Amino acid sequence: MTLERLSLRDFRCFARLEAEFHPQVTCIVGRNAIGKTSLLEAIAVLLRLQSPRTGSLQYVIRAGAKGLVVDGFVDRRHLQFYYSAKRRKLALDSVEQKVTTSYLEIARVVYLANSDIDLVRGPAELRRRFLDFLGAQLLANYREILRSYDKALRSRNAYLKMYPSRPREVQAYTKVLLKFGHQLTALRAFLVERLEPEVLRAFAAISDRGEVVCLHYLHGATLDFERALQESAAEEERLRTTVVGPHRDDVQFLLHDQPADLFASEGQQRTLAIALKLAQAKLLATDFSRPPILLLDDVFGELDQTRRNRLLQQLPPASQQIVTTTSLDWLAELPAGRVCRLEEGPAPADRLIVDYPTGSRPVFRPKGPA
Amino acid sequence: MSRDLRLCRTEEDTIIMVMLSKKVDYPGPIRELVQQLRRLPGIGPRSAERIALWMVQTPDARATDIAAAISQTAARIRPCRQCGFFAEHDLCDVCADPARDRSALCVVERATDVIFLERTGTFSGLYHALGGKLSPLDRIGPEDLKLDGLLERVRRDRPEEVILALGADVEGEATASYVADLLSREGCRVSRLAQGMPAGAGIENADDLTIARAFRGRTAFRP
Repeated sequence: MTLERLSLRDFRCFARLEAEFHPQVTCIVGRNAIGKTSLLEAIAVLLRLQSPRTGSLQYVIRAGAKGLVVDGFVDRRHLQFYYSAKRRKLALDSVEQKVTTSYLEIARVVYLANSDIDLVRGPAELRRRFLDFLGAQLLANYREILRSYDKALRSRNAYLKMYPSRPREVQAYTKVLLKFGHQLTALRAFLVERLEPEVLRAFAAISDRGEVVCLHYLHGATLDFERALQESAAEEERLRTTVVGPHRDDVQFLLHDQPADLFASEGQQRTLAIALKLAQAKLLATDFSRPPILLLDDVFGELDQTRRNRLLQQLPPASQQIVTTTSLDWLAELPAGRVCRLEEGPAPADRLIVDYPTGSRPVFRPKGPA
Repeated sequence: MSRDLRLCRTEEDTIIMVMLSKKVDYPGPIRELVQQLRRLPGIGPRSAERIALWMVQTPDARATDIAAAISQTAARIRPCRQCGFFAEHDLCDVCADPARDRSALCVVERATDVIFLERTGTFSGLYHALGGKLSPLDRIGPEDLKLDGLLERVRRDRPEEVILALGADVEGEATASYVADLLSREGCRVSRLAQGMPAGAGIENADDLTIARAFRGRTAFRP
């Protein structure tokens, strides 16, 4: 699948931006804080209606603006999305969509960023968001089950917070919470199970050492969910919130049977984070007839040449890649594509995408045999 | 008005002032009618104006009939004392009908849901509208639902079966679970509507989730 064009209004730092993309590689160069990451985030929001960086799109609207617009063409299909605190509207080929199903079937995305290392050593919330972002792209009912679980959880917590206590109302929502909780757990377990061999393969391909990686799905409710809920009743009473359940899920990474967040080196952690994203790309490429669009946010800068090349080789072949960077040192290693700069436009919050003027445009060498 | 005009010095200012002071709107009664019509759901300023003008200009408009219908409806319609459905008298047409099957009671969320079920013609029992669903995020609790009335009816009329025809969304399920829990001590059978394939359509017309649910809820085939 190919993203052809993108136009933004009031998205993060952008008042407006128009961009076109190369079917293979588009490399966007720009100084720090010009909005390279936000541009990739906007692509993810356009294609998936959610940001891989934040849970709520509320914070993505440009300060002072009412709502954001992302608009673009993928494989000549026209996607439009408007989001404000009060309203959200989406259209596919200029026809407003009441449900997201057909809109979300147009494109799938993998987002690789420098900050991915936090997937290994950061809070569990990031790993849940990683699973959710993949799940929503891989499984038809993931989004709906996740939303239903979330709503049941918030409703149940609302009753737990009430004085005097409302055991019957809590119990009514407990049943719904259990139902969607079991479903969500099953889907996440399935995702982790499918990810593990791909992570192992990608990790080995990049690090080139025979290291053993394991993924452990740590349930937010040990034992079975129902019993865990019953046993946590006293704690719920004290904290007035649901303390066990899939909203506390986590994934543990083991490197040679040791937790990677504590024992792995920085380099190993970084490789593991990349391997997770590559596994995600692999699953999406395997399950669908066309590879996902890859968004690579400044990932090459931190890697040495060998790992950079290995990463490039591991990307699904024939996938469109949109890459941001601050430096051009390694550009010659990229296959053919377009290189452009992200710059300030005439108005204060406008941004422009400019092709490198001929002459200063870096020369591409065709990628040789591996 | 004339004082404003006198205050103006330049020609340009005078023109603006004259325009403002000469701005004419419809006479008061029409403006009032437009204001009232705008309060109706789905009626914007343009539609309100069009309806008001139609009433004034069309000889056949019979505005008094419309006015009578509106005022009478509001005065004559009230919720049924027993089930909450729309009624002209103390009881609605369903509750007052002696031919209805009193051994089955169908619980719905809103009074308007009764109409959807009645149109199917499959159910001959009585209804009970809760008037909402359990939704703490919208600040709707059990005390806002007509649950006391339901319990009273179940105790008094002893129906054999209570059918929960509530939505399949999160709040609908929680409400169903709450009501089922409430009725569990009353000794009546509690059931809920099935989920599955839309009738009269091929499998290609159902969405994935509906097919999945229908598949899980499949029933034995009796030739």
